[in-house]
Amino acid sequence: MSGGAGYQLQQFIPFSSDVYLRLLERIGETYWPWHIATLLLGVIVLLLALRHKASAGCMLLAPLWLFVGYGFFLQHYAELNWAGNYIGYAFIAEALLLLCIALSGKGLAKTAPDKRPAVVIGLALALTGLVGWPFIGLLSGNSSFQAAVFGIYADPTAIVTLGLLLIMLRGWLLWLSAIIPLLWLVVSGLTWWVLLTPQ
Amino acid sequence: MHTRLSRRQSLKLLGAAVAAGLLPSLPVVATPALVSAADKSPAVLLRKPIGKQGNTLPVIGMGTWRTFNVGSDPKLLDARTQVVKAFFELGGGLIDSSPMYGSAPDVMGYALRKLGIPDSLFSAEKVWSPAGGSAREQVAELKKRWQVAQFNLVQVHNLTDWREHLAALQQMKAEGSLGYIGITTSHGRRHQELEQIMTSQDIDFIQLTYNITHREAEQRLLPLAQEKGIAVIANRPFDGGSLIKGLQRRGESLPDWAKAECGCTNWADFLLKFIVSHPALTCAIPATTQVAHMQENMSAGHGPMPSASARKRMQRYFAAL
Ligand SMILES: NC(=O)c1ccc[n+]([C@@H]2O[C@H](COP(=O)([O-])OP(=O)(O)OC[C@H]3O[C@@H](n4cnc5c(N)ncnc54)[C@H](OP(=O)(O)O)[C@@H]3O)[C@@H](O)[C@H]2O)c1
Repeated sequence: MSGGAGYQLQQFIPFSSDVYLRLLERIGETYWPWHIATLLLGVIVLLLALRHKASAGCMLLAPLWLFVGYGFFLQHYAELNWAGNYIGYAFIAEALLLLCIALSGKGLAKTAPDKRPAVVIGLALALTGLVGWPFIGLLSGNSSFQAAVFGIYADPTAIVTLGLLLIMLRGWLLWLSAIIPLLWLVVSGLTWWVLLTPQ
Repeated sequence: MHTRLSRRQSLKLLGAAVAAGLLPSLPVVATPALVSAADKSPAVLLRKPIGKQGNTLPVIGMGTWRTFNVGSDPKLLDARTQVVKAFFELGGGLIDSSPMYGSAPDVMGYALRKLGIPDSLFSAEKVWSPAGGSAREQVAELKKRWQVAQFNLVQVHNLTDWREHLAALQQMKAEGSLGYIGITTSHGRRHQELEQIMTSQDIDFIQLTYNITHREAEQRLLPLAQEKGIAVIANRPFDGGSLIKGLQRRGESLPDWAKAECGCTNWADFLLKFIVSHPALTCAIPATTQVAHMQENMSAGHGPMPSASARKRMQRYFAAL
């Protein structure tokens, strides 16, 4: 991580792992007990998606992206990273896109979810993000306020959303709406990689 | 930075400078008779000259990359304030930050509000294109964040848009709204371009990576800086931490001669004294989150310093590790 390429990457990660974990903890403390509501909303969206009510699903998903864009990125993450504002606006743009899809009905799957690979993978991703993700943090020794809950934290929100999109959408709108969650997951993965690489 | 010194302090300072071979025409020699290694009082922290007005800077400053980006976390804000407090108590001067470092300039503002602004502070900031706005706007914004009336030094970060930024900084310097101007790079990048800037532009400081494992600057940039009277700040003195933490993790022991020849009692001493004893180097700016590490780092700024032959020995010893 000490080479030029490493430095290029590090420019985007101007904080240490301790400080990042502490930020996640503070976000958890600030929004508690909203975690219960967002988690419940996630389960509802998954049920709607599985019952072929994709429009309602996208409609409920949109405010969560708005909340994470504002509450996670603009209010907190941007304190540590100059790029945080841009990422926050990207999350808000995703919220608008989901809203447009819900209102226009474009890109929604025409058939009910069956056992196609996209649906199976989507379900697995959604369950991982909703149920598995908070436990990963807890098992690796983080405090309960660092438990990454869907709708509050960016990582599980992006993972669950990717899963839900695979179940609910088809065609180019599926790909378009997957760009921001996918990009964030790449950024987040690189962030943890840089932070956890020993100096 | 204010340089109000008593006669006694001035004599001590002169002695310290001589001891470390810091006066321009003198070789780098350690003279324990003039400055005892045990005398770690702030007054004898070694200083080197900057600019043409006879000002000087302590040879150890501090960086803020990553270490001071703690946002608005009250616990961490207070912890970093303690690090700055120790820095000032130990005679520290230069603090380096950048708009690239997230909340670090605000954290400095917090610390200075709590501690007050000591005369010894030498505030060093940067302009950096991705932060947005002109150099003038960035400096104005950063002054508010640090809560200082003026910066002692403003540098162009990583040579970004340096023509435009440097022109603006030169103008601001001429107007008297900042002290010195400079330009930075790191990781050995764009040295050729930096050399061109040093030859063609009127700058007071350069900042680059120089440590016992990264000595590329010795070839051309350091001699050129000496020739042109440009002060040099060494960033990444511990190579981002990997150097010192690696030595400590592996339990490498310090050679006995390092203590005898240049008063090194730990690896921080060894690594930092190696850097600041280069005749062209003005100061090194290690960053830390810990008061104990700050104390170690500041202690390296006291004489005796390695002589030219001791520096060679240090390099050989290190290469063989
Ligand atoms: N282009 C540029 O302008 C540029 C580029 C790079 C750096 N810089 C400047 O140069 C400064 C220094 O570089 P850097 O921060 O990248 O790296 P560095 O100072 O070489 O290393 C910092 C690391 O060293 C550790 N450390 C410090 N003192 C120690 C001690 N006595 N014992 C053990 N570990 C110690 C710190 O950890 P602990 O917190 O545990 O002490 C920290 O993680 C930066 O902060 C920045 O201001 C500028």
